[in-house]
Amino acid sequence: MREPLEPSVQPLRPATDPAKLPILTVGELTGLIKGTLRSAPRLRDVWVEGEVGQVSVSAAGHCYFTLKDERAQLRCVIFRDDRLMMPFEARTGLRLIAQGQIDVFEPQGAYQLYVRALQPSGFGDLALQFEALKAKLAAEGLFDSKRKRPLPAYPHNIGVVTSLSGAVLHDIRRVLARRWPLARVVVSACQVQGQGAAQTIVAALRRVARWTDEQTGRATDVVILARGGGSLEDLWPFNEEAVVRAVAAHPCPVVVGVGHETDVTLAEFAADIRAATPSVAAELVVPARADELARLDGHAGRLQAAAGRSLTERRQALNTERRALESFRPEALLAGERERVGLLLDRAARVVQRQLEIGQAELSRAAEQLPALLAGHVVGARAALGRQSAALAALSPYATLERGYSIVRGPDGAILRDARRVAQGDALSVRLQRGEVGARVESVRDSSS
Amino acid sequence: MSDETQAQQAERQRIAALPFDQALAEFKQVVEKLEAGNLPLEDSIALFERGVLLQRRCERMLSEAEMRFQRLVESGGGKVRAVDLPVGDTDGSG
Repeated sequence: MREPLEPSVQPLRPATDPAKLPILTVGELTGLIKGTLRSAPRLRDVWVEGEVGQVSVSAAGHCYFTLKDERAQLRCVIFRDDRLMMPFEARTGLRLIAQGQIDVFEPQGAYQLYVRALQPSGFGDLALQFEALKAKLAAEGLFDSKRKRPLPAYPHNIGVVTSLSGAVLHDIRRVLARRWPLARVVVSACQVQGQGAAQTIVAALRRVARWTDEQTGRATDVVILARGGGSLEDLWPFNEEAVVRAVAAHPCPVVVGVGHETDVTLAEFAADIRAATPSVAAELVVPARADELARLDGHAGRLQAAAGRSLTERRQALNTERRALESFRPEALLAGERERVGLLLDRAARVVQRQLEIGQAELSRAAEQLPALLAGHVVGARAALGRQSAALAALSPYATLERGYSIVRGPDGAILRDARRVAQGDALSVRLQRGEVGARVESVRDSSS
Repeated sequence: MSDETQAQQAERQRIAALPFDQALAEFKQVVEKLEAGNLPLEDSIALFERGVLLQRRCERMLSEAEMRFQRLVESGGGKVRAVDLPVGDTDGSG
């Protein structure tokens, strides 16, 4: 736009008769300009981007404002009815894109944009691209729920695709180390924003897919793709087609965690699971070891109970058998079998006893090592062990000793039940409630005769 | 354990090298089998002993495991290797 005419301008020197010149009225000239502008197809439907200057709303409800950039200003009008339909309002200082028609407002001799639509600047293009790509990929079935793969219950190897700098990787590492240090974590670095970020994300995902554990030959069981929050432009690489396709095509399940609240990126739509933040993504891919310890404890209780029951049943069966045998007088064959069973019971009780002792020792050690959050669990486990000890003690053969009985073993170490199996001078060992006594046979009396 | 047979020893070593999920799955099977009952006493005892080994394998991994945290690098020929990534390199200051 030109500045007002300079004072040095030449006075008019009509070269011809002014009467012959087509002299226009202001109204006619303005009408001519108006006609010219209106007939220019380029001006009938324009999109223009700029910063909002002065804004005013008239008593009738029409909105008047200026859009400007470094070079020029443009007057804009939004009529009341249009204004009330718009989801978005012009406010001073906003950058926005207005769409409408250029026309001339004759009473003021001003050309202006009659606005039909408004959107925030920097959003429009991306939003359109986003919707178009989303529709296209959805039509291909990339976001279908039936494509979603379940996460492994206990991942051995976890891939993490994110930037090496920044808090995200640190947060993921902290969560994984706390919850599931049994896993091996391999980080594949990428750029998460800016020019070229999308290609680095795709390359990082491929790198993870190409890696396998040197010893086991096992690939990653699950991959976390993460970045912190940011503006729509910052998050844009997560909306790029190559990234979305790489997520969907990855050989193992992918959890995408992007730290933002409102906009969902297309990579998240394609993910097997979408997490609200990178830390949540880390929590989702692994179990919590505190839960697993508690679950293990439950199984251990069942194991002990089942073993105890099994021993009790055998003991009862043995007692029944013994009573039956005693009423028929024992026979050598059966006695051998009976002894075998007796020894097994003995061995079972020893085994159980040993496991209990080891369990106690391990629990004390665990109580020192495990963080405070597990302390309650260890106390519970110790109580459970205590109960099992009492139950087992009741069915241990040694409990009988407390009642004043002894176990006598012959020279071969086998439990002695028949006087005819020893001779005078044989060494015996007598197990009492406390301690053991070495003894020698002085005489043998066979009570059956 | 001097009275341990070679087979028992081999089983003990196998269990000591099991990954967590496998040890846990076997442990659950043992518990269920023992709970079902109807086993000869020898088998019950052997099963119980195996169960305890499996339980301890799981417990030990849960309380003693230290996470391996590494970074993938590509070397010549497109081979991907994992190299250690010290804590300091991911301290969030970047």
